[in-house]
Amino acid sequence: MAVGDDRAGLTFVRRYQRRLYGLAFGIVGDAGDAEDVAQEAFIRIFRHAPVFDARRGSVATWALTITRNLAIDSIRVRRGIPTDPDDRVFLELTSNERQPDAAAAALEDVARVRSALAALPLDQRRAVVLAALYGRTAADIADGESIPLGTAKSRIRVGMAKLREAVANEDAV
Amino acid sequence: MTSQANDPRVCDLFRDDLAETALGVVSGRRRSEVLRHVESCPSCSLELDQLSIVADTMMELSGETEPPVGFELRLAQRLQSGVSRRPTKRVRRVSVLLAAAAVAVALGIGIGALASSGGSNRPNQAMPDITSANLSSGGHVLGEFLVSAGKPAWMFMTFDSGTWSGVVTCQVILAGGKIETVGQFTLSAGYGAWGAPLATSAGQVRGARLVDASGTVIASARIPA
Repeated sequence: MAVGDDRAGLTFVRRYQRRLYGLAFGIVGDAGDAEDVAQEAFIRIFRHAPVFDARRGSVATWALTITRNLAIDSIRVRRGIPTDPDDRVFLELTSNERQPDAAAAALEDVARVRSALAALPLDQRRAVVLAALYGRTAADIADGESIPLGTAKSRIRVGMAKLREAVANEDAV
Repeated sequence: MTSQANDPRVCDLFRDDLAETALGVVSGRRRSEVLRHVESCPSCSLELDQLSIVADTMMELSGETEPPVGFELRLAQRLQSGVSRRPTKRVRRVSVLLAAAAVAVALGIGIGALASSGGSNRPNQAMPDITSANLSSGGHVLGEFLVSAGKPAWMFMTFDSGTWSGVVTCQVILAGGKIETVGQFTLSAGYGAWGAPLATSAGQVRGARLVDASGTVIASARIPA
C-alpha cells in the first residue's frame, strides 16, 4: 500500500477482509471475536503501513501475521489454546471445502500443504498447527501434552519437513 | 561466506531449529543465532526459505470467509473513533472513504471499485464520481469534504481542529449561492467525521461549511469549478 494513497486503504480492506476475517475466525471460532480481531488488524495495518518493508515479505503475509497474532492474544484472554485432538480447528484445516480465492500459485501451495497436513500423524499435525496458528513453542506443546521437550520439537520438525517436501517436490515437477 | 558454510557438523547444530524459526516460535536469541548461520549457509538458507513458505501458507488454510454484514461500516466507525488512541490523519481519511463506501453499499449504490481496481479479484462495480475539497479556516486545512454522486447523492466530512468540541451544523453551498443545512454532528476533542444523504444532486454542490452553535462559520470548503 503506497504511503499517501488513501484510496488504496479502501481497496486494501475490500481485497483482504475475507482473508483476514477467515483466519481470525479459524483461530478464535467466534464470529464476534473474529470481527473484532480482523478490524483491529486493519487498524494496525493502516497505522504501520508507512514502515512496511516489502523486502521482508509480502503484504498478504504481513497482514495475516498481524491478524494471527491478534487472534492468539484474543483466545489467550478469553478461552485458551485448543488441545482437544478432536477440536474443529484440527479437522477443518484439512477440509477441501474451504478454498481461498487467491492467486493460482498460492492456491496450489495451499492445496498441497492442506493435503500434506491431512496425511500427517495426528500428533505431528497438532504440533504443527499449534505452533503455526497458535504461536505455541515446543516447550508450550510439551507442557500441554505432557511429553518431553525433545518429542515436541521432533513432532514440529518432522511434520514441517513433510509439508516442506510436499511443496518443494511439486515445485520441482 | 564463512568456513561454516555447508559443514554438516555445524548445520546439525541449527537444523533442528529451522522449522521453529520459520514458524516464529523460537526465542529471540536462538532466532538470531540461527539466522546468523543461515546467512552463511546456502543449504540451510534454502531449507529455511521453503519452511517459511509452508509457515506462511499455513495461515491461508482457514480460507476466505465473508465477514458479517456491516463489517466495513463498523470498521469505519472504529477508525473514526480512534479506538484506544487518536487516529492519524491517514487513518482518518481512510475511515471517511470506508464510511462513504459502506453507506453507499448499504444503499445498493455499488461503490466497490471506488479505489483503484488494479489487482482486485472482485468483480468490477460501478464507481460513482467523488469530488473532494479541503475544509479550511483562515488558510489552514482542517479537514476534508467529499460529495459522492448517486441517487441520492451523499456528502462526507472530516474535521480536525485539534481543540474545538461541541455540536456543529453542516451546510452545503449550492449553485447560485443557496445554503442548505444537511444536519449536525459532534466534534470530540477537536475531531469529527460525518456523512449524510443530500436532498439535491451532487452536481449542484459547490461547497460546504461548518457552523458552531453561535452561528459562526468555523470552516468552509469550496469545490473547484
